[in-house]
Amino acid sequence: MHQRSGVRLLSHLFLATVALLMAFPFYWTATSALKTNDEIWQFPPTLWPHAPLWSNFADAWAAAPFARYIGNSILVASVIVVIQIINSGMMAYAMTHMSFRLKNAFTALILIGYMVPVTAVYLPGYIVLSNLGLLDSYAGIILSNCVSIFSIFLIRQAFLQVSHELVEAGQIDGASHLRILWTIVFPLARSSFAVLALITFIEQYNNYFWPMLITKNPDLQLVSAGLRSFFVQGGAYGLKWPLIMAASAFTILPLLVLFLLTQKTIMQSVNLSAGASKG
Amino acid sequence: MRRTRLASEGKALLFTLPAMIPLSLFWFYPLGYVIYLSFMEWDFMSPVKTSVGLDNYRYLFDNPEFYQTLRVTLLFCVGSVLPVMVAGLGLALLLSRKRKGGAIYRTLIFSPWVTPTVAVSIVWSWIYEPDVGLANNVLHALGLSGIRWLEDPNWALISVLIVTVWKSAGWSMIFYLVAIGNVPPDYLEAAELDGANGWDKFRHVTLPLISPTTFFLFVVLTISSLQAYDQINVLTQGGPAGSTRTMLYFYYLSAFDAFQIGEASAVAILLIVGCVALSLLSFVIGRRTIHYS
Repeated sequence: MHQRSGVRLLSHLFLATVALLMAFPFYWTATSALKTNDEIWQFPPTLWPHAPLWSNFADAWAAAPFARYIGNSILVASVIVVIQIINSGMMAYAMTHMSFRLKNAFTALILIGYMVPVTAVYLPGYIVLSNLGLLDSYAGIILSNCVSIFSIFLIRQAFLQVSHELVEAGQIDGASHLRILWTIVFPLARSSFAVLALITFIEQYNNYFWPMLITKNPDLQLVSAGLRSFFVQGGAYGLKWPLIMAASAFTILPLLVLFLLTQKTIMQSVNLSAGASKG
Repeated sequence: MRRTRLASEGKALLFTLPAMIPLSLFWFYPLGYVIYLSFMEWDFMSPVKTSVGLDNYRYLFDNPEFYQTLRVTLLFCVGSVLPVMVAGLGLALLLSRKRKGGAIYRTLIFSPWVTPTVAVSIVWSWIYEPDVGLANNVLHALGLSGIRWLEDPNWALISVLIVTVWKSAGWSMIFYLVAIGNVPPDYLEAAELDGANGWDKFRHVTLPLISPTTFFLFVVLTISSLQAYDQINVLTQGGPAGSTRTMLYFYYLSAFDAFQIGEASAVAILLIVGCVALSLLSFVIGRRTIHYS
């Protein structure tokens, strides 16, 4: 018994150490953001700044159009979430509760698409977007991200659990498919839609590689690309670390807050995404 | 009768259009197009594309830089997938029992996963700063000499891997927590009655029962490590001396820096083939393991 509690204490100690190490970079971001340029180059480093310089945050905020970048990210991510809810819902409904001849062909096609790594088609995707004249536009960023095979699978998985009799009952009452989808089936699958919305929002808010490729106009940059150009230019590659850390802090913070508020849904998404990928 | 059949057929197709149009435009068509481009020589600007057969592929396999890229890709995959899975499993085992503070530990360990890779990579490049960065300060405090993390070809890949593992370990932990929670307690009790100790129970009951999760994570993590870009772009840009240049990064550089569209497309095809092979493997084995449980 005595040994047991010793083991328990040890595993607590171990877990606490790991958890603190994992979170430490966030603490380090915040404290580095509050230091003066002199203090940040001091040896040994101080765990908490002598005189926290809160103005660093305001200075960083003013040094680059961060409001614009964050606004862009929120706008693009929100619109994409709405479109994906609509097209994943409709597609999944057709795949599960409607019959048509091309159903198996479409399902197979989507399954193939699921296996293809999206980054590998960035080059031809870029050419397509340029031929459509959609480079350097909100429309280009939104349209090229407006469908996700993962989202379709996620919703399809949820719709498979909805009994087809409910749909038939709706049809007998004379409701259209659209009505059945959004008033009967959608509410039953709302937890999956919540997961879709949250995961897609986070993914698109953080999206970097693809939006950076297809936009050159600084006004259209999402927050990651904006932060990165601030890091390279405004931060002069490490000469102004406190400002860079302040900018990183207000880029990271909204997501940490969102995560704390929606932890349950996000962790639940793990369960659902494992299910979705089983096909 | 035929008319209503046609009408319902049409309605169903209408339901698929909002997804199928963008999918065709930004997914299926580019997929076909990149296959076509991999047999062409093109510099992106000129109006003509010349057919060169398999030359792009041949050129790749004659290029020593490409072999370096393959080596880096393999090291990156192994060096990120294994630690993420082992750390995830270990942490999940420790956290699977109800304990005080469990939720807090879980939250802290998972939190890096939701943050933007670019922003946290910038934070890590400050931690790796060679003169006053936190990492070298810790080494100095331990009496060791500092490392030029991102500038030393021997350490750059390890530095990128540390960030990658830090970001994903909590994610795989959550998968394992769910899987371990689904292990029926009677199995463990039965094993205990047979005199099994903790390690035996893990080895012969838990580990086999969570093997579908292990396999799923292996495939998903491998595919995502083949696609890693953000942290490499911020921390090292594929350098120094190509020591962090993965296939994807090589693809990106040959397409958008060197404008060797044909060669870049050939790299893309190899990446696609690798991912499809892994996914197919997972489908086949997934079917089997579903039978099993």
